[in-house]
Parts: sequence; structure tokens; C-alpha cells
Amino acid sequence: MGRFLLLISAFLIPFSLLAFLFKRAFQNMAERFQQVPQQFPSLKGFLLFLLPLPVMSAAVIALARGHVVELLGNAAGYGLFLSGALLLRRGLLREADYDRRRVARAPYPLKTLGSVLIALATGITASFGVHHHPLIAVAFGLLALLGCYLSYGFDPLTAKRFTDAEGLDATDRVVEALAQAERGITAIEQATREIGNAELNQRLRRIAKLARAILTLLEEDPRDLRRARKFLNVYLDGATQVVAGYAKTHGRVSKPELDDNFRRVLITIEEVFTEQQQKLLESDVNDLDVQIEVLMTQLKREGVA
Amino acid sequence: MSPVLRKFIGLLLIFATVGVVSCQALVTASCSSNAPVIHALPLR
Repeated sequence: MGRFLLLISAFLIPFSLLAFLFKRAFQNMAERFQQVPQQFPSLKGFLLFLLPLPVMSAAVIALARGHVVELLGNAAGYGLFLSGALLLRRGLLREADYDRRRVARAPYPLKTLGSVLIALATGITASFGVHHHPLIAVAFGLLALLGCYLSYGFDPLTAKRFTDAEGLDATDRVVEALAQAERGITAIEQATREIGNAELNQRLRRIAKLARAILTLLEEDPRDLRRARKFLNVYLDGATQVVAGYAKTHGRVSKPELDDNFRRVLITIEEVFTEQQQKLLESDVNDLDVQIEVLMTQLKREGVA
Repeated sequence: MSPVLRKFIGLLLIFATVGVVSCQALVTASCSSNAPVIHALPLR
């Protein structure tokens, strides 16, 4: 058994080093392509799906050999490993979302919960699957928890708050408005799957892209929400309803006038969204102009410029 | 401790616990003797 452990560690250490180096290389590559968001699905937390795979095989072998304790231990251990890895991965994705936003609620402690489940799974597998002494099993569990904490960290606990011009806390309002807008854009994107017209789909994709760009601007500076209220409450909502209605109706009724009207509406929506984006960008430029002017005046007053 | 070193130590710990326990569970299940039910079958 000692020789086996030595062999395993001799294999694991270079493997972990290689995995670490590959991750760094991929990160560097990803930084070069940051202009293309969500091009590759995130691989965060996948390691914890792969490492416990032998436990599943062990459970199957224990079943075939009729070993009840090992079967139950390995099956429970693998179930907990899988649940923990799922929670941890979801927590990591939520944390990435939290880091990206300027205004956000504190995420549910999914990462912490996932780490605890993985520690529990390690302990149960060590105790019932491998028949280690309970103290050794507890040590395995605690070390796994420490490993998860050092590698992935625990969840952020504080919300990123935003106060409006009157000094009131507007975090919930901003988060809700952005979430609603996100739902609208997703509905538009989903409608493209139901509409079989390539030209209309292309227009819809452009509209969704524009709306997302506007949403990014709003996320970066939630003070713009007041300026974009009409966009969120009237244009985006209206566009979502019209697109969903067309996606539902056009399959049943084939009227060329309907297609023409829809095309015209889409052209108008696209123009309005572009105009809205320009307005937000211009307001940012104006804000910057004012800041530069204030700084120049201050510097002149101090006799520096 | 730098974040890179911290992550590396964390990964090593995960391999040393989750990875080792998983492999040990597989080896224990593979190398243990067969079920008593099979041994209990009457010999002809």
C-alpha cells in the first residue's frame, strides 16, 4: 500500500504542476481574446468533477462483489462529491458575475456549501470506502476543506451597494432593473430559434447585441439608469413583446405584410437602440469633459497650469 | 502568501486528499476478496 501511495503521489505532483502551468497558459491566451466575451465555456471547478470518478467505479465494483458497506460508502461519497462540485462550480460562476458588476447583492454561499460537501464526501469515502480510522478520515475531510478554501476561496459576504443622487440606497432597484432587462434580452435571443427567417434573425441578433452593450454601459455606471429609464421600460419591453408575439404567430399565419411590418419594426428598434447607446456614450464623454474642466480650473487656481 | 502560491497549495491539497482517497477507494474495492455469498455456494 505504501509503494502504491508513493506511486500515486509521484504521478499526482507532476500532473498538478502541469495542470497549473496549462491553466496559466490558457489564462494568458484568454486575456488576448477578451474582446470576444463568453467565447469558451468556463472550465472553473471542473477538476472536482474529474478527481472523484474512481469512487464511482469503486461503488460499481463493490456492488458486483456484494460488499454492502463499501457500496454504500462509495455511493454516498460520490453523490456528495458530485453535489459539492456542482455547487462549487455554480458558486464560482456567480462570483465571477459578482466581480464583473459594480452593483450586486452578495451571492448565496454556494462555494462554501460546495466545499463543505466535498470535505464530507472525502471523509465518508475515506472511512467507509477505504476503511481508514475515523480520525484519519476526519483529517482527510479537513484537509480537503482547507484545499478548497485555499484554491477557490469562500463566498463574498458583502453587497456592492449603490446610493442615488438623494443619498438613498438604490441597490435592490438597480439589480432588479438590470435583471429584468437581462431577461428581456434573453427572450429576444430565444425567439431567434423559433423564427426561420435568416434575415430577420440577423436583425434580432444585432438588436440583442446592441441591448447587451447598453446594459454593460448601465452596469458600469448605474447613474445612467435614470437616463435609460425609457429604454428599459418602454423600448426593451416593447421589443420583447413584439418579438415574442411574432415568434408565436408567424408559424401559424403566413402573411407577407406581417413579415414586412415586423421588418420595419425591427429597423426602428435597431435605430432607437443605437441612438440610446450613443446618448449614453455622449453623457460619459460630457461627464469626463466636466471633470477635466474642473481639474484644469483647480490647477490654474493653484498656479500649477 | 501570494494568490498564485495559495492556489497551488490548495490544488496540491485537493489532489492529495480527494485524488488519493478516490484512488484508494478503487484499489480497496478491486483488491478485496469476493462476496461471502459466492463462497457460501455448496461445492459439488
